[in-house]
Amino acid sequence: MAYQTIEVTKLTPHIGAEIGGVDLSRPLGNQQFQEVHDALMENLVIFFRDQQLTHDQHKDFGRRFGNLVAHPASRHSPAGHPEILTIHADENSKHVAGEEWHSDVSCDATPPMGSILYLTEIPETGGDTLFASMYAAYDRLSQPMKAFLDGLTATHDGEPVYRGRFGYQPGEKGFPRAEHPVVRTHPVTGRKALFVNGNFTTGINGLTKPESDALLQMLCRHAETPEFQCRFRWQPNSVAFWDNRCVQHHAMWDYYPQRRHGYRVTIEGDKPF
Amino acid sequence: MDYQTIEVTKLTPHIGAEIGGVDLSRPLGNQQFQEVHDALLENLVIFFRDQHLTHDQHKDFARRFGRLMVHPVKPRAAIDPEITPIHADENSTNVAGEDWHTDLSFSAVPPMGSILYVQELPPVGGDTLFASMYAAYDALSPAMKDFLSGLTAIHDGEARFRPIGLVPREGDRFAQTAHPIVRTHPLTGRKLVFVNQEFTTRIEGLSRNESDALLKMLFRHIETPELQCRFRWRQNSVAFWDNRCAQHHAIWDYFPQRRHGYRVTIEDDPARHRV
Repeated sequence: MAYQTIEVTKLTPHIGAEIGGVDLSRPLGNQQFQEVHDALMENLVIFFRDQQLTHDQHKDFGRRFGNLVAHPASRHSPAGHPEILTIHADENSKHVAGEEWHSDVSCDATPPMGSILYLTEIPETGGDTLFASMYAAYDRLSQPMKAFLDGLTATHDGEPVYRGRFGYQPGEKGFPRAEHPVVRTHPVTGRKALFVNGNFTTGINGLTKPESDALLQMLCRHAETPEFQCRFRWQPNSVAFWDNRCVQHHAMWDYYPQRRHGYRVTIEGDKPF
Repeated sequence: MDYQTIEVTKLTPHIGAEIGGVDLSRPLGNQQFQEVHDALLENLVIFFRDQHLTHDQHKDFARRFGRLMVHPVKPRAAIDPEITPIHADENSTNVAGEDWHTDLSFSAVPPMGSILYVQELPPVGGDTLFASMYAAYDALSPAMKDFLSGLTAIHDGEARFRPIGLVPREGDRFAQTAHPIVRTHPLTGRKLVFVNQEFTTRIEGLSRNESDALLKMLFRHIETPELQCRFRWRQNSVAFWDNRCAQHHAIWDYFPQRRHGYRVTIEDDPARHRV
């Protein structure tokens, strides 16, 4: 794709591109916005370097792509900014966000369209993030497996993650839980993507538990295939923007007890189909 | 089912029955033959106690059900090619049928059944487990049944036999055959799962990981106790299993004791072998 207002440097053939020529602290013009959006659709996750963003500027950029949503576990928000999730790890951390392969909040009835993570402090080495293309994961399944999975739905449950691992208490309606197609169609690109993840997906509906366990284990393992991935090495003030509808990611916590700090905004998505 | 000439005592609701009132050393009359056959189809594996059979009587009984099959493994000693000795003692490093399996499923036309006559066995131990592949199929989810119904799997004798030092009686290698994963029994018309962990190596048309995951799940599924019966042998017991719909597993819990017997294997009728 030819871009006029941004520079796009791919990290791998399937996924990931670094975007140059954009200052995210200022409102994007229409063509630049369109090209950033195109680059996201084409590359699934895009990266920006050396950005200086206030919380408001971070949110303003996010809002160009949709409404912002508060994370269900958003007790870690800066004062006055419930749409911002603080991402933080240091010598006192017992866990960090996103340590396993996952789609963000896939337990929601309408999981996020995407997330924009801005890291201001990172260790000298370590703390990279892996991103994997669920288009590629789907494409690499066999024809009979595609046909089988195309008709199935799976349950995504927030409780095991949010209660078991992080100790959050449920809201009034309990922990989020939803059923989504195992293979979803991206609403913009029309491409099919595998949509189960090891974090939230607890079962494939209509199968026995052993059948479901076997398939989920195989699919989650399949989603980890290195050929579907890129690995992003952060610098201070880097921004990653991933399309949560077709990407899984995994935050590596290989830098304990060092400190890593930043902020995420999450953009509203729609019901998977 | 009402039987006139034999007594049928079920071991479990799904599989296994002990048959009384039959002397297998003598030719069966037509009605008794028919009832033994009915009992086999109804119970998948049938057992007879206190039989005294020469090799010829053993083979004559089997021939009522079809032609006898020459076992494709080259025998260690010259013996009647239609008789397969089943033997374990203090020198054994493996025994036949230690894993769940269908006999010779890698053959282009796997056997209809086998008749095993055990003459010597330890006071305890050496039982055989049998499992109903009808029940295995019935217990799958509708979505899984539909998925598997369109698929075939490779059954390979090489993968199983060569590593334990067994070589083919004829030719360079054991057969490798693709069979439907969901098979229809040619006589009962019932559907059943037809993969087994001894011989089934992969599902055709799937990736390696997909195939491994599904086969592992199915092999585990087939081991479900609810699908099984457990036969406790006595000296001179006979077991006759319908190899098209039953898997079995010979338990080797009696080392270094001795267990000894003979098996004859019955060909399936290719004209009736539905694939």
